[in-house]
Amino acid sequence: MPLIRRDDAAPAPGQERREIPRDREGLIAQLDDKRPVARRRASRELAGDAGAVDALCDALEREQDEGCRHAMLTALLVTGGQRVQERLLPLLRSEDAALRNGAIEVLQGMPKLAAGYMDELLADPDSDVRIFAVNILESLRHERVPDWLRGVLERDDHVNVCAAAVDVLTEVGDDHCLDALRQLPARFPGEPFIAFAVRTAERRITGEERGDGR
Amino acid sequence: MTRVLVVDDAQTVRLYHRELLEQDGFDVDEAVNGLEALERLADTPYDLLLVDVNMPRMDGYTCVRRVRTDGPDIGVPVIMVTTEGAAGDREQALSAGANLHMAKPVQPEVLLSRVRLMSGVLS
Amino acid sequence: MAADAPREATEVPGIGYEDFTRFREFYYRKTGNWFEENKRYYVDKRLLARMRATGCGTFREYFVRLRFETDGAELQELVNSMTVNETYFFREEYQFQCLVRSMLPRVVKRKKPGETVRIWSLPCSTGEEVYSLALYLLEYWDDVDDYNVELIGSDIDTRALEKANQGIYEGRALHALPGPLLKRYFRRLPDGSHQILKSIRDSIRISRVNLQDPLETRPYRGFDVVFCRNLLIYFDDAARRRAAETLYDALNPGGYICLGHSEFMSRISSLFKPARFPEAIVYQRPEEDQT
Ligand SMILES: C[S@@+](CC[C@H](N)C(=O)[O-])C[C@H]1O[C@@H](n2cnc3c(N)ncnc32)[C@H](O)[C@@H]1O
Repeated sequence: MPLIRRDDAAPAPGQERREIPRDREGLIAQLDDKRPVARRRASRELAGDAGAVDALCDALEREQDEGCRHAMLTALLVTGGQRVQERLLPLLRSEDAALRNGAIEVLQGMPKLAAGYMDELLADPDSDVRIFAVNILESLRHERVPDWLRGVLERDDHVNVCAAAVDVLTEVGDDHCLDALRQLPARFPGEPFIAFAVRTAERRITGEERGDGR
Repeated sequence: MTRVLVVDDAQTVRLYHRELLEQDGFDVDEAVNGLEALERLADTPYDLLLVDVNMPRMDGYTCVRRVRTDGPDIGVPVIMVTTEGAAGDREQALSAGANLHMAKPVQPEVLLSRVRLMSGVLS
Repeated sequence: MAADAPREATEVPGIGYEDFTRFREFYYRKTGNWFEENKRYYVDKRLLARMRATGCGTFREYFVRLRFETDGAELQELVNSMTVNETYFFREEYQFQCLVRSMLPRVVKRKKPGETVRIWSLPCSTGEEVYSLALYLLEYWDDVDDYNVELIGSDIDTRALEKANQGIYEGRALHALPGPLLKRYFRRLPDGSHQILKSIRDSIRISRVNLQDPLETRPYRGFDVVFCRNLLIYFDDAARRRAAETLYDALNPGGYICLGHSEFMSRISSLFKPARFPEAIVYQRPEEDQT
């Protein structure tokens, strides 16, 4: 008989819970386990526990395994809150692109807190950090997103920060952004890309198609 | 026809690269992050990848490392495009396995000459 | 849904906007399912029906009961009424082809004859998917006699699972199933419906699982292939990430996962790598991963 049913092989759900009942401390200790699968499990079970945020962030900063990082970031996303935000913002300065982008994804998922740090982040002396701020805005569900982006167009003098803002505006921009967009190319006269991106954004916002039908 | 895969989460960048390259006779596909690039690569052979660094779900360095270790074509030429011209970026790009590095914003002539060079159109 | 569209703005009496948002947060935390505003009518209607069934006069009363009941029975009833169970036999058949022609040959290379191949259909809804797998293997997998195959179907919806256990189908559920297979593996009942043979029913296992619950999913591991089709579309980003992680741990290294045709791992998680086969692109847990 090729198809077999083994009711005893894996216990029915609900029967097996955990091997040993574990508390937050036990799970936190398990974040240092040698086996990645144990670290992933502990992270998953700590999701939603506000008291475990610091431990998860500490573990995240040490963690090298991609899958474990993934689980730790997800747990932080599920928990959310001020403390998560405070611990993740510094990671935007990390040399590690995967960690940086992971932090951005979690911050995007916590729109209510964005107003508390966005102005500061957009004024950071490091242009890379300002670009990451714009990246956060990209899929942040927050009503001030167009305002923040317009501010970038009007004030930021780094071409790549402005380019990132124009890109996001192609999707979320409205009529109020048009003036700021139209004035941008004059600030970066030697950059054909900016002129191109602004034309694209304008077209998307006003809904005008180009002559060649694209 | 020479096929280029443009990997960038910014739609204006993808569109810009597409227009420039298509005018120059290249065949262009797009992917919005590193993972989607790997999906495309599993499906289609490309002559060149043009890869951004910061992207959601999978960043450019991770993507290029994976292409080099277990892609269907581990030798495909790769140009990485980073936001700053800082030395750290270039080093990271090259050590991830990129053949060449360019800083944003990319000037059209520079883009075209590098792409022609790396995709073997000149040789 | 198109049919609901003209009624989007309608407010069902007795459930205010605040009630709706509080409820969807709660329901999301429990199940990962996220309702956009345009699903409001759909949600309100079902809530009202459950309020009536439980004799709760106000939403507030019902919500308190839902949150503080100890056995979860009402939550289960509610889940059963909220889920979309749409499914049919041989849905997206190319993935089943891919299973027998491409995935299983690779899976069994790592096994000795006599060893068990384990496949999980999650969510299996009313059972069509997990039975399709059984029929497909029996009919089209050349090596089916050399290996033991364990098939498990799971879903969060207990009412759907009851139907899966009964295995009685008609109409649309069967429309894509080839006629000869209907003849061979089903028994026609007096009312014109068809019941899948007892031997097949007895050879698969059906269980209730909430994919969003890390404790409930823990016992599920050691799978070679997981079919997780048309579930992630109901989740938001965070719930999708959690689901991807759970499925990752449920799979053996090198194991495969099949998603629905509109679901893309590249929009969810970097844990898996795409695996291209002539029949389909599926995703694979990397081989070299240590567990
Ligand atoms: C549209 S059906 C898909 C059935 C089948 N896989 C197919 O593709 O035809 C979606 C199923 O997901 C189940 N579901 C929803 N949330 C779930 C959860 N958190 N855990 C497990 N199943 C869930 C629903 O009960 C429903 O039966």
